[in-house]
Amino acid sequence: MSSVVSLFPIPPVIAAAAAAPTHATDDIRHLIKPTAALQPELSVNAVGEALSRPEYSGLLSLPIVDGDGMPVGSISRFELMVRVFMRPYGRELHGRRPIATLMNTQPLIIAADTTVDAASRFIAENIRQPISDDFIVVDGDGKYLGMGVVLDVLGAMAGRLTQQASDLELANRNLRSSQSQLIQSEKMASLGQMVAGLAHEINTPLGYVKNNVEMTRGIVADAQLLLGSYQQVVDAMLAPTPPPAPIFEALVQQLEQQRASCDADTLQDLRSLLDDTVFGVAQIGDLVGNLKDFSRLDKARVEQVDLHKLIESALKIGGNLLRKKNVEIERRFGEIPEVECSPAQINQVLLNLITNAAQAIEHDHGKIVLRTQQVGKHVFLLVEDNGRGIPTEVLPRIFDPFFTTKPIGQGTGLGLSICYQIMQDHRGHIRATSVPGQGTRFLIALPQRAAAEQAQASES
Amino acid sequence: MSANPLATVLFVDDEERILRSLKMLFRGRYNVLTTSSGSEAVAIVQRQPVHVIVSDQRMPEMLGVEVLRRVRDASPQTMRLLLTGYSDLQAIVASVNEGEIFRFIEKPWDPGYLHDVVEQAAQIALQEFALPRVPPPALVAGSPVLSLPRTGAKLLVLDEDSATWRLVRELVPETLEVLHAGNVEQALQILGEHEITLVIAELRHQKDDIPGTLKILKSFNPHVLTIVVTLLRDSRSLIELINQGQIYRFLPKPISRELLRRSIAAALEHYLQLRNTPILLKRHVVEASKADSGSLSSRLLDYWRRVRDNARTRA
Repeated sequence: MSSVVSLFPIPPVIAAAAAAPTHATDDIRHLIKPTAALQPELSVNAVGEALSRPEYSGLLSLPIVDGDGMPVGSISRFELMVRVFMRPYGRELHGRRPIATLMNTQPLIIAADTTVDAASRFIAENIRQPISDDFIVVDGDGKYLGMGVVLDVLGAMAGRLTQQASDLELANRNLRSSQSQLIQSEKMASLGQMVAGLAHEINTPLGYVKNNVEMTRGIVADAQLLLGSYQQVVDAMLAPTPPPAPIFEALVQQLEQQRASCDADTLQDLRSLLDDTVFGVAQIGDLVGNLKDFSRLDKARVEQVDLHKLIESALKIGGNLLRKKNVEIERRFGEIPEVECSPAQINQVLLNLITNAAQAIEHDHGKIVLRTQQVGKHVFLLVEDNGRGIPTEVLPRIFDPFFTTKPIGQGTGLGLSICYQIMQDHRGHIRATSVPGQGTRFLIALPQRAAAEQAQASES
Repeated sequence: MSANPLATVLFVDDEERILRSLKMLFRGRYNVLTTSSGSEAVAIVQRQPVHVIVSDQRMPEMLGVEVLRRVRDASPQTMRLLLTGYSDLQAIVASVNEGEIFRFIEKPWDPGYLHDVVEQAAQIALQEFALPRVPPPALVAGSPVLSLPRTGAKLLVLDEDSATWRLVRELVPETLEVLHAGNVEQALQILGEHEITLVIAELRHQKDDIPGTLKILKSFNPHVLTIVVTLLRDSRSLIELINQGQIYRFLPKPISRELLRRSIAAALEHYLQLRNTPILLKRHVVEASKADSGSLSSRLLDYWRRVRDNARTRA
């Protein structure tokens, strides 16, 4: 019969070599149903009987294998029904002929070490419609091993898809958390620079506060002595037996001397020293408070916020740099409503824009204009500097992560990309325009509302 | 001037509260002047004798270093101190190179310390103001530089990297001897055998404490001027080198030839001035270094003295 078989066109076979290298669990081996094969010489009638046997009941088609163990075709229940048993005289016409005359000579043949993925692709491309076949599984030499059920492959695929989806979900979650870490570390890096500046900023009030307190201590000591001397004089005057005149005079003289070192003027000065001290301590508290706001970890919390307050806070934190560069700040604040946003995140954006603006200024008449305005349901903030500007070819890339024009070690290249991300999370916008040599203008637009869930969602 | 005149001390700071506080601290001890304007400070110094000026660094109109530079030009005898909360490297370097300051004091200051330093500066200035005025060595380029008078000056380069020595050798005239030491031991040997005018030193060294050496050197021998050329960018150690080592110039590496040439010239000229007017040496009085008892042991110092004594006996 082999000569007959050889006349048939070559059936679609997916060979081992064609498949990608696989892991044991990935291939279709575990889907093989050991099934006794039919010989090509078997009569159609006999095959019809075989089909009703319980061992074949789960299969849409049965394998036909020659004496060498090579699959030569398959016969499906559907075809046998349609072409033989349901036709008038079908049984009479075909019943005694060998099954080889009716079989599908191009059965689906798949090597056992084919991956489920590859197998399912192969099946999808080659299977006949309506689906009435299962597939034959062969070993590396093309010898028959057993049958595979198409539905099982689909089941395995579905399982794999679920697995992949959850892998994807996990990857996505990891990505989000590392992104959030990245934002945090960028913030900490810029915070580090700010802390150095702020420490300096605090040194000025701390300088006079410390000096004043030390001086106050000295004055209080003088006042104590003076009070003691007064007391001695008064005691001497009130004593039933007054001390001898020279002693009394010595007491008065001592009092006179001490009055010189602690007079009304000194005490008046002390008052103003203490006023300054209270002011200085409040200023230090203010600076530290701003720092705390900035570094807050509950960064996703959404509040109704006065944007102007956030701007002032960012200006204080960045104050050191602004002063160092001698930059003038011009506030053109409009009437704006409160915005619903994450204040810590928006703080980060503001600080970034303000420090960038200051860093772009290389001359001594630097100026940063901060303009706010309500436009429809958005609040706009314009940050405009008269610095060196951004070259046209660089401008489109400034929001790209890790893009930086600063020398190594001076910028992470993440600042603006994080600003962009934060504005996205708030469903806001950030844009930049620049004229090289004249300055740069950043515009951010924050929706008054609705930013809420978005910003929160991105953190969870 | 009267027998026991009151020194005039001028404080410059853009924060009025600082000025009030300082004024109160020094009230009665000196004739205290204050201003929040740098240019006003310069004008005051031009108008009347000011013995000590203590200036803030970061001020809106003019940086403190700039104020001190102008004061130096207008009244070189005025002792200049910087009192600042912003100890950034740039300011420190400028305070050395341009301001030639006596002390660099950080805010918040210790009132007792500030008091001592201002008093010391005032005493030095009172003596100097009693002398005829000496023009300061010019800082600008093109000054009559390396056609130096025959000072017999000897230079010592203390740097593991001999490139610095070669550069100095190239920059100064043949008549000047330029010696090279790769470590402190060698440097002490040379210092013991030669009268060194100017030390040019790199602060970084694999094992030796160069800043400590420079401080001790200055406290033993105020005549010796120091130019620091270094890769080190540490504001803390630099401030210490000002206050405890009175370094004359600070040049960051990579070295600018022109800057180094100018610095050497200014240093040599300053050296001559010191020789002619020994009282000026007091300007270079240093604070006691904390390193004295520490890393640089007295052993090394003994060694140096011994070597020098030997050299003298031989001579």
